[in-house]
Amino acid sequence: MANTKKVKGAEALLLSLIAEGADIIFGYPGGQVIPVYDSLYDYSTRIRHILTRHEQGAVHAAQGFARATGKVGVCLATSGPGATNFITGIADAMLDSTPIVCITGQVPAAMLGSDAFQEADMVSMTTPITKWNFQVTSASEIPGAIAKAFYIARSGRPGPVVIDITKNAQIEEAEFSYEPCTYLRSYLPTPIIDHSAIDSAIDMINSAAKPLLIIGQGIKLSNAEQELILFAERGNLPIASTLMGISAVPNNHPLFIGNLGMHGNVAANRMTQDSDLIIAIGMRFSDRITGDVKSYAPNAKIIHIDIDLAELGKNLRVDLPIKADAKEAIQLLTEGIKHVERADWFTFASDMDAEEKREVTDNCGDPKGEYISMAQVVQQLAIAEESNAIIVTDVGQNQMFSALYSRFNHTRSFITSGGLGTMGYGLPAAIGAKVGVPEREVVAIMGDGGFQMNIQELGTIMQENLGLKMIVLNNSFLGMVRQWQELFFDARYSFTNLANPDFVAIAKAYNINAAQVSSPAELNKALEELVNAEGSYLLEIRVMAQENIFPMVPAGASLSKLIYK
Amino acid sequence: MNKEYILIAFTENQIGVLNRITTCYLRRKINIESLKVSESSIKGISMFVISSYTSLETITKITKHVSNFVEVLEVSYYDSNDLITQEIALYKVASDMFSGSERVDTILNQFGARMVELTPKYIVIEKTGTREEIEATRDKLDQSGNLIEFTRSGSVVLHRKSIDKILNNLIQNK
Repeated sequence: MANTKKVKGAEALLLSLIAEGADIIFGYPGGQVIPVYDSLYDYSTRIRHILTRHEQGAVHAAQGFARATGKVGVCLATSGPGATNFITGIADAMLDSTPIVCITGQVPAAMLGSDAFQEADMVSMTTPITKWNFQVTSASEIPGAIAKAFYIARSGRPGPVVIDITKNAQIEEAEFSYEPCTYLRSYLPTPIIDHSAIDSAIDMINSAAKPLLIIGQGIKLSNAEQELILFAERGNLPIASTLMGISAVPNNHPLFIGNLGMHGNVAANRMTQDSDLIIAIGMRFSDRITGDVKSYAPNAKIIHIDIDLAELGKNLRVDLPIKADAKEAIQLLTEGIKHVERADWFTFASDMDAEEKREVTDNCGDPKGEYISMAQVVQQLAIAEESNAIIVTDVGQNQMFSALYSRFNHTRSFITSGGLGTMGYGLPAAIGAKVGVPEREVVAIMGDGGFQMNIQELGTIMQENLGLKMIVLNNSFLGMVRQWQELFFDARYSFTNLANPDFVAIAKAYNINAAQVSSPAELNKALEELVNAEGSYLLEIRVMAQENIFPMVPAGASLSKLIYK
Repeated sequence: MNKEYILIAFTENQIGVLNRITTCYLRRKINIESLKVSESSIKGISMFVISSYTSLETITKITKHVSNFVEVLEVSYYDSNDLITQEIALYKVASDMFSGSERVDTILNQFGARMVELTPKYIVIEKTGTREEIEATRDKLDQSGNLIEFTRSGSVVLHRKSIDKILNNLIQNK
């Protein structure tokens, strides 16, 4: 039993965070959290608070921090508008299973429901987009609520938790002692594996001629990267990744055949359609991965392993659902797996790679060579960073080019808004990642649209002296929407072109080194300068205005209807 | 094919659980026909009974979704045949209805109801039965022009098997 002492609720909150190892928080002050900020003033040596320029910046930074480190990200905001500015990030974290604890101030308990100044019903609003939420109305509840919040956020399938703390609870004094939460009788985060299902899976895999291992973020979330590779190597199984799974397996691993889905690689999608057995682990068969579910993997039996029961059979019919933690399931599968040669299957993979190179990669970019192509930028950056950087993307073409052409040697190196597709995510998430793993190179790749959705966070980068690298792929278009308008709406570019400011001047105004490049001949040198820059650096790259990202599976179409141009 | 499914959930008796469960219906645009929440036979554990018309596929997904919630101990869906379902209804009818030659008792017997309150202006009668029985009585009273007000409890259910035993085991095992 920990010793007890009497402290204010605000201090109890900080002591609880410290007890959970959360010594970095992203936040923004306001009226109903002033008591917490007052306590932070005394705890500045034990808790690093990073002042963002908008609460949305704080929540995305907490997400980026969590994704890069595997720890729980923490953000703090005041009641009302401060709290509601968290909502996009909370919804994003819910879809992408990101463990974050969002702490919001609230009006005093006695004023709840009175439409008090800056009162917003945060618990009701966040119910469908949180794994758990709770309103604290007295100081004595704080340690217990924080303990539960961290336990729930990080265990099982991780997700966002909101703790709404009324102002009186921050000011009142209560006895403080901290007990971490390790058990709730109504919550069983680690499933008990059905061993007979594992045995069936082993038989199915050993007898499959064209198996395909499909991995998602669950591999990273359960720290199963090494186990996965051992399993795939022992069984000689090709591995394809979802967007969220990227970087769990190094790109140069001989069994890795690429990314799946709407803008995935040709081999991964064609092999899905040709496979006789899909082994899906820690992924959720999102519509961006499956295309038309009726024609998805028509020849394959499907084994789906996920920690979340609600995902099994949610989007498509599964032949063998297994509710399990990825790591545990993989270890059990590995025991029974046999090496099977499958030379034809791997030849098919390399044929498809050659097809992609011939039909797509070799043709992408500006045929006249006058303008820089986004594909070229991402490819060259991967070379310049020697596949060791953390790439944080925004949403749109910048994201899909980054997914397709980035190369990774290390896990947790690709951070992107996969489920919600939140424009404006990239810059603040990159801040969080850099704060979480300062020893690693972090590069934010953004479009000119998404960059401007949270451009104010340049202030945070300046104040914290973060050493973050930023690339703005500027085509003066909302590129992905423009691409859809070109392909599916007769090139009627309705409100997708942007008149942009001088991004280099803006960065410099924030005391951030910056440069602009527009000539393909100067691209490599410009990227080298970015890589070698000490401190933060922004490179604006003027890219061709109307570049499309291919391969592409049109929304709702079968994966077989892959288009190359 | 849509039909009536009854979801029964046992949860910790904590604030916000009701809201969280109903969001599963709301986000799929499914109307809840009736909903009852009360303490189960175990102290501190609430029992939810939610009836809705939907497909087997959807109710399966809703049930899995609800089972994920932190406070939910146990949840299953049932076909109405799996359960003993009764509702209580109160009908406020005009006293005029009983001013004819027929005796009050005869009318009440005919409806399988009993009298709860008698005033010069109105009489409140109570009936327990299946939803169909309750609705049939409502229609008859309505057609006679005497129904002033009507209210129903929502389903009170018991599983034909013992759910509490399952629940007790569950709590011990966790």
